[in-house]
Amino acid sequence: MEILLQLIASGVAVGMIYAAIAFGYQLTFATSKTLNFGQGEALALGALFGLTLVPFLGYWLMIPLVLVFGFALGAVVERLGVRPAVKIKSEYGWIMATIALGIIFKNVAENVWGRDDLKFPSPLPETALQVGGVRILPMELLIVAGALLMMLAVEIFNRKSIWGKAVVATSNDIDAAGLMGINTQKVITLSYSISAMTAAFAGVLVAPVTLTGATMGSVLALKAFAVAIIGGLESGLGVIVGGLILGVAETLTGFYISTGYKDVPGLILLLVVLSIRPVGLFGKAVIKKV
Amino acid sequence: MVFAGRTAAAVLLFTLAAVPAHAADPIKIGLSGPYTGGSSSMGVSMRDGAKLAAAEINKAGGVLGRPIQLIERDDEAKNEVGAQVAQELINKEKVVASVGFINTGVALAAQRFYQEAEIPVFNNVATGTIITNQFKEPDYEANYVFRNSAYDVLQAGLMVDEALAQNHKKIAILADSTNYGQLGREDIEKYLATKNVKPVVVEKFNIKDVDMTAQLLKAQQAGADVILAYGIGPELAQITNGMAKLGWKVPMITSWPASMQSFIDIAGANGNGVIMPQTFIEDQTLPKRKAFLENYYKTYGVTKIPTPVAGAQAYDSIYLLAAAIKQAGGTDGPKIRAALENLNEKVEGVVTTYDKPFTAKDHNAISRNMVVFGKVQDGKIVYDKAEDAKNAGVVRLKEKSSN
Repeated sequence: MEILLQLIASGVAVGMIYAAIAFGYQLTFATSKTLNFGQGEALALGALFGLTLVPFLGYWLMIPLVLVFGFALGAVVERLGVRPAVKIKSEYGWIMATIALGIIFKNVAENVWGRDDLKFPSPLPETALQVGGVRILPMELLIVAGALLMMLAVEIFNRKSIWGKAVVATSNDIDAAGLMGINTQKVITLSYSISAMTAAFAGVLVAPVTLTGATMGSVLALKAFAVAIIGGLESGLGVIVGGLILGVAETLTGFYISTGYKDVPGLILLLVVLSIRPVGLFGKAVIKKV
Repeated sequence: MVFAGRTAAAVLLFTLAAVPAHAADPIKIGLSGPYTGGSSSMGVSMRDGAKLAAAEINKAGGVLGRPIQLIERDDEAKNEVGAQVAQELINKEKVVASVGFINTGVALAAQRFYQEAEIPVFNNVATGTIITNQFKEPDYEANYVFRNSAYDVLQAGLMVDEALAQNHKKIAILADSTNYGQLGREDIEKYLATKNVKPVVVEKFNIKDVDMTAQLLKAQQAGADVILAYGIGPELAQITNGMAKLGWKVPMITSWPASMQSFIDIAGANGNGVIMPQTFIEDQTLPKRKAFLENYYKTYGVTKIPTPVAGAQAYDSIYLLAAAIKQAGGTDGPKIRAALENLNEKVEGVVTTYDKPFTAKDHNAISRNMVVFGKVQDGKIVYDKAEDAKNAGVVRLKEKSSN
């Protein structure tokens, strides 16, 4: 029993890492039906930028600057990669453009910070806490709390602020929102900025547990993409549930079946969800009128 | 300082290369390794060790009156890039030999071009057992692949014997899912079978895995009292960190890359006590080692070689090759190979003194008795055994017909 709980605890921690990254996919998809495939690189840039600031500011003071950095990064991605494609109504241009920007970001990071995996200093003690037979790192608790807090903050922003309401309106019906006088182009830019901001924040959040480096986002972003599909690309709650399912499935399979098959159940789940409920577990089925 | 040192070395190399140029062209030797990417701490140490040896040889007048010119190429630890680099070095740069290779996969993909061109290729870091057997007799007339690193069968045997000597009965094997990790795991399992020991668990992990809980819990549940781990720095560090998280501590014996700087940085205090087979420990007992280390620190402006084993083996590989070219009396590939297989001169390196290191059948210069156990201790690699530390000044010669 203790083992099961330990596995679930570790799975939840890993799952929240995936969810925190997947959340960024969901934000831009809601407004513009496009995704930033460079999300993993935004994560890595955020973490590396944070790592550079830590010696001067410490962990907590560094976070606001990383948020600003992520916000600006998202706007750049939208302007260079997404807007031109959306303008000419290209269905796939933004895929290539965001992937290309991601590659450029990775190369820049490799040139600035080198290609080694670096250690990110942990702001919390690195000795595990014992909670009823389950051992968990303080940093893992911070990841769970930080990710939930981040999603909550974005949710409150969407519901309460005027800009957030514009985002919601654009998500619901971009044409109608435009006719109502909402500058939908600005809203899409904003959603990209918030998306990259969450990625950069997720980067500094997970870096003390994972490692920091230009390629740290490659595997994580791919897993997060699976999470976003499983949970539903339009649902904030969906990515949390999807992340937890994938994280726990990985650790349980690793222990009860084989660590060689650790990644298999997640992929099977992805296929099952796509064939039974293509919009994801929590996605809204919309009939697209052509 | 680093820059100044490098520039000085470059200027030195350049002027030395330039002076006798009217008399003789430089001897071009290829230098292929990952200078970027996850294996770069090994690659850069390898490159810098080799450059140091070449600069020393050139300062002393070169080989056959000709200076050595190293042609550096980054293979990025990618098999396909390694193959491209090999073809470029052979066909465009016309190298007379190449040294390098950190990654077993890259070595296997690239060295066939040297074999076909009848140009000797010298592995100074990659450890896959198959590397020197890829073009073995009787399928091939002559084998152009040489090596002076401790290959996997040696390391696996040492790791298992050490675990058994420490009286551990329940052995857990953790290996990464790359060629390197899985070939090493096979070697460990084979050797365990000869000792009639069955590991209690055999588990895999992927490069960049974040969480090792499942693997470690399985080992813990099986009652493992020692972990044998085959992988490279960052993931080996995640294992030690995972153990600390679970509050479970058993001795850990790893393959040699736990001496990488990334392991030391990422594992921190959790890495203390981890032991791994090493051909070279940074100690200054022998005059040759002292001179090498001082020169390395000074030239590159560091206080520690990022991966000492890679730097030392690369340094030796250039001296071995230089001796062979001298004996061959020219740069003809088959002649250099023949000279390597029957080297008359004793070559004093920093790992050992090489006395007939190769024969036609044996292309591995390192034998089991040359390998010692290193231990991670407060950010440095030190001798694990007191007797090894005491005998640090004794040069371990190759056991005849041991490979």
